[in-house]
Amino acid sequence: MARDQAVLAVTGVTKRFGGLVAVSDLSLVVSVGSVHGLIGPNGAGKSTTIGLISGFIRPDAGTITFGPHDMTRLAPSAIARLGVSRTFQQATPLSGLTVFENVLVGLHTRFGSGLAAVLARTPAFRREAQAMVEEAQRLLALFGLEALAGTDARNLTFGQLRFLEIARTIAMGPRILLLDEPAAGLNDLERQQLAALVHRFRGEGMGMLLVDHDVPFVFGLADRMTVMNFGSVIAAGDPDQVRRNPAVREAYLGEAAETEGAAWR
Amino acid sequence: MDATARLRLERAVLAAVAAGIVLAPFVGTRLIIYNLTITALYAMVVVSLNIILGLAGQVSFAQTTFMAIGGYGSAILTTELGFDPVLAIIVSAALALVAALVIGAPLLRLRGHYLAMATFALALGTNSFVTAATPLTNGSIGISGVPPLAVAGHAVDTAFSYYVLSWTACAVAMAIFALLARSHIGRAWRAVATGQEIAASLGIDVTRAKLMAFAIAAVIASVAGSLYVEFTSFVGPDLYDIGIVLNVFLMLFIGGRGSLAGPVVGAAVLTFAPQFLAGLQQYQNLVFFGVLLILILVWPSGFFGRSRDSGPLREILPLWLRRRGVAR
Repeated sequence: MARDQAVLAVTGVTKRFGGLVAVSDLSLVVSVGSVHGLIGPNGAGKSTTIGLISGFIRPDAGTITFGPHDMTRLAPSAIARLGVSRTFQQATPLSGLTVFENVLVGLHTRFGSGLAAVLARTPAFRREAQAMVEEAQRLLALFGLEALAGTDARNLTFGQLRFLEIARTIAMGPRILLLDEPAAGLNDLERQQLAALVHRFRGEGMGMLLVDHDVPFVFGLADRMTVMNFGSVIAAGDPDQVRRNPAVREAYLGEAAETEGAAWR
Repeated sequence: MDATARLRLERAVLAAVAAGIVLAPFVGTRLIIYNLTITALYAMVVVSLNIILGLAGQVSFAQTTFMAIGGYGSAILTTELGFDPVLAIIVSAALALVAALVIGAPLLRLRGHYLAMATFALALGTNSFVTAATPLTNGSIGISGVPPLAVAGHAVDTAFSYYVLSWTACAVAMAIFALLARSHIGRAWRAVATGQEIAASLGIDVTRAKLMAFAIAAVIASVAGSLYVEFTSFVGPDLYDIGIVLNVFLMLFIGGRGSLAGPVVGAAVLTFAPQFLAGLQQYQNLVFFGVLLILILVWPSGFFGRSRDSGPLREILPLWLRRRGVAR
């Protein structure tokens, strides 16, 4: 597999919860080095889609592949190790661990040392541990969290926690990052910082699936868009096409009282 | 108390404990030396529980079962099959490892209270099994005359030599705990303890991480069980009563989950307290467990615990006093 051509492909995926079809025959493609925006009204199936791709929810039908790997039935940890990682809607710290340790946990898969090397404190293990400490410091600086390194992660503000979560997930070096409402609850400055980070990651060749309620935020960043409503795709394509699509306008304007309807106008 | 202050206190206590252990043989009575040897071996078991519970966050009552595998394994292999005691310890530990993998593999896949319930049943069953399996274990009479160890040609058969051996073994267990706790392996365990979904999303194989902690804890508990039986030259079902595993939990909770020095402090408190309280006669248990209950309510994270939780009593008491007009 040529690394540059790796794509995350969701093909014909369906998920039912009892009688409710949460996601129906969904297909989408996320390429490395691009941002794929996924929007839709409440209950459209956006978060379920992220759960399905990341392995936390098992699909009833369809396949999910990344490059040559079929990950439809893989466990979340195996999917993450293949290079497809997610963030959670509710940014949660690993509490009791410091901010620094949170990022080090994100680096876990990059450690090659086993039990024997750790207990013997082999030079290779010590070099590796030192390299990871430096990498964690670099990541904390990138996310503006270096001053908080020694703080217990549960003492962070909402915005700091969001950036810590993304830093922790980026630490494992994903090729595809699934962002589940990363802008929710952030203030304007934090949103700008988040947008700058998304640009930066794209420039470094990472692919992103960006789910958010802030529709202008997604349009401002996405290279490709998919719009869902009631579990089905109602529009897909480049942002300009999607913006003009009458079905999309109806889905959003039909619920004008909703905040996202207001954001749309 | 913030993290650095707690760490400094813990280091100071560790240094004081180490000094006390070195000096005790010169000043202590035979009884004190005996009890300190028992303390070392129980501290080892508490360290093993600290790996699976304090680091990986899994409530497991299996530690006395693994002690029993070590204890009975050593006793049977040496008295019946003529094994060298050191070889018997190693073979028993290997058996404990296999048992841990067989028991742990299905149980550790599950979340919630399954592990606690299943291992509690295991702890109850261990005592019944060794009582009932008379041909193997000599039932409730137990096996006596377990021969002493010989390390590098030197028989370990005096109270002093067992004291040195036990504390050396305990120090090794503590070193294993410390090395793992601050490595990526220990961090992954702590991540699993606080959020399994987050850990999985970061590529950590949660079941495998838990199984590794469970297996390492089993081996340490088994070696402690073997040394205990070699020390007292006797093994019987009462050593693996359900009360023993609860004691091991108390030792960890008093000392502080996740801490390095905690298990030694907890083991010492529970080994020596009954003797200080012996004068209270029939009220001994009442006073002892009463004090423990209050301690855990006020101070749930123990002497050196990582958690800053102040405990229900410390939160409720000021409120109650204020309402009564006692305090503002």
